[in-house]
Amino acid sequence: MREITFIEATREALDVAMAADPTIFVVGEGIGKRGGNFNTTVGLYDKYGPERLRDTPICERGFVGMCTGAAMTGARPIVDFMFVDFILDAMGELINQTAKMQYMSSGRLKMPILLRGCIGIGHAAATHHSGSYYPTFVNIPGFRVVLASNAYDAKGLFTTALQCDDPVIFLEHKSIIFNKTHVPEESYTIPFGQARIAREGRDATVVALTVMVDKTVAVCEKLAAEGISVEVIDPRTVAPLDIDTILASVHKTGRLLVIDETFAPCGIGAEIAAQVIDKAFDDLDAPIKRLNGLHAPTPYSPTLEKAIVPNAETIEAAIRDLLAE
Amino acid sequence: MSTEIRMPRLGWTMEEGAFGEWLKADGDAIQPGDLLFTVEGDKATQDIEAMDAGILRIDPNGPQGGDMVTVGALLAYLTKPGEAVAFAQSSSQAVSQSDSGQLSVTKHQVPSTTTTAPTISPRARRVAKELGIDWSQLAGSGRTGRIVERDIRAAAETAASAAVQTPSAPAIRATPVAARMAQEAGIDLETLAAQKPGQRIGREDVEAAIAAQQPAVATPAQPPAGDAERIPVTRVRQLIAGRMAESAHTTAPVTLTTEADATALVALRTQLKATLGGRGLPVPTYNDLLIKLTAVALAEHKLLRAVWQGEELVIAQGIHIGLAVDTEGGLLVPVVRDVQDKRIRQIATATQALIDQAQRRQLSPDALQGGSFTITNLGMYNIDAFTPLINLPQCAILGVGRIVEKPAVYQGQIVPRHLVTLSLTFDHRVVDGAPAARFLDLVRSYVAEPLLWLVE
Repeated sequence: MREITFIEATREALDVAMAADPTIFVVGEGIGKRGGNFNTTVGLYDKYGPERLRDTPICERGFVGMCTGAAMTGARPIVDFMFVDFILDAMGELINQTAKMQYMSSGRLKMPILLRGCIGIGHAAATHHSGSYYPTFVNIPGFRVVLASNAYDAKGLFTTALQCDDPVIFLEHKSIIFNKTHVPEESYTIPFGQARIAREGRDATVVALTVMVDKTVAVCEKLAAEGISVEVIDPRTVAPLDIDTILASVHKTGRLLVIDETFAPCGIGAEIAAQVIDKAFDDLDAPIKRLNGLHAPTPYSPTLEKAIVPNAETIEAAIRDLLAE
Repeated sequence: MSTEIRMPRLGWTMEEGAFGEWLKADGDAIQPGDLLFTVEGDKATQDIEAMDAGILRIDPNGPQGGDMVTVGALLAYLTKPGEAVAFAQSSSQAVSQSDSGQLSVTKHQVPSTTTTAPTISPRARRVAKELGIDWSQLAGSGRTGRIVERDIRAAAETAASAAVQTPSAPAIRATPVAARMAQEAGIDLETLAAQKPGQRIGREDVEAAIAAQQPAVATPAQPPAGDAERIPVTRVRQLIAGRMAESAHTTAPVTLTTEADATALVALRTQLKATLGGRGLPVPTYNDLLIKLTAVALAEHKLLRAVWQGEELVIAQGIHIGLAVDTEGGLLVPVVRDVQDKRIRQIATATQALIDQAQRRQLSPDALQGGSFTITNLGMYNIDAFTPLINLPQCAILGVGRIVEKPAVYQGQIVPRHLVTLSLTFDHRVVDGAPAARFLDLVRSYVAEPLLWLVE
């Protein structure tokens, strides 16, 4: 079976979509001839030319505004932010225009714009190149927020994103984009709001996000040798969030831990915990737990950087702690 | 090393205090500054702060709410994690029942075994209900002894294998806060559950049960008296009752009344209101003006502010005037200190703060002590004259009636004037009629002519 990387999978989906839909174009820094800092567009410049693979100066607010206008008037722009940290420079446009325009026009205007970028801690990239920020976008009405955790899901979700008429934020964790899985050559879609059960279990439920999915599954395989059976859920999209799959799992296990590399306060774990307490209070056999990266800007030092994110050791400790409740 | 938590001394004369309630639970991690427990002083409830950090270990035989506790009695320890503490088998040598102990004792007989009632996870409670397991005697295997699902399932298996038909327990579903409150107040959740079959027991159910429980024990020995309403006597009410009865039985009260022409005082207040109110500044009330002018009069008439202490009369340097304040919980008399040194605006600020605190029951014990004279004003209820009771150990109290416009003879003409009746009750043991009358007449003249004391 063919195995390709996460990035190759999204590039394949992009290539197919660009061939079929001439209104798709990509803007970003270094995404033309260079093929993108993270190889997101390698080879596409030669195929579709400078008109559709448009290098930009460093002016996020400008090109996000331009692409918002293009999406309103019928095109399907893709903004490739390279590091998603730079999306912050375009927040005014994104929140006030891109996310609101469909509501303000009573749905007469569509906003088929795809915003993609790399997230995450782990490459001594320091605090300006290690951000994730997705809880912020989940908080804003109008955005779809996709957090693929593997190449197979990445291709299916990317294809769905390119068929979606709402603004989609597609986030790629730097630590997993060169990981390979089996990816079919033909085109396929994975609907938004449909979680994946990455591993079945009966003693506890762990919801893990993006890079944490594989790490958690690996820890759980190890714990299985002791007879500890943990179910791991990968939500795949956090807006919309598939709470039903999580509730069904908690109904089975009675215990819930949310593992997320990014900050805990007002984060995805807080949201999931609130919904589970509301909808499944009588299913809970223990307090809901969270394991997050430290609430601090990412340090540059590799040693310190390692220490602030969940790892196999802290994940195992958190699961054991949950089971001890 | 553990730190002892003892009953604090909240005023110079305090020898014992009524323990209120713990604000933290046994086993809680405490930081310096956390509020640990409450003490009901004379008429005010104080929150006691932790000075140190540690794990709170409460003496299981320690006082219950309402118990009188000697100052310095050991209540709890702050320990390091894992550190053991040894309480005396019974610390009752430090605990004596108050005069009102009858109530407290009866009230606290109800929760006999509740301090060890187990906690249970919502899921375990649900499963127990489904399987008909009575979990009230189960030992939990979860952290902090919480009963979790596996404990219920194990109990169900044991019950099944023993082939014992466990009488199915009434279904109990309660919110965590309701379960905790029920445990603390000794409310039987099963009884509540029986009243609300199939529904979750919430905080309000437990509160209703607590409220229903209290009046029932407030009159333990009395035969039922038909549909009579029973109002439990609060601590404040009991204190007021004791003080009033003592005043009525020990003093030799005489009340003098006189009518004062308050037209100039009303004009002064109207002017203050217009001038200060218009600038958004606090406007002194009539009470504030009366406090000031009475203090000026008291400076001259020392005996009226004498305090009877055993075999001698003590006259303090400062003039500290108590103001009777009607609150939801009962009468409180916070004291404005050193009125002789305060300007009217300072008095206004002080009384406003004291009245606010009194209404919220947040007066410190000190604010209620040390008064040398009291003013009580019933004018807002359209009362003219009355015979106030002396606020012991003080010598006298001034009752102020309503300020009302009446026809009066003024400079040979019958004209409308603002009049107010002043009622002075004084202790004839301390001072005789003539000096008391001279004092009241001076107060009357100060009401009539504010300039006399404004320029003091």
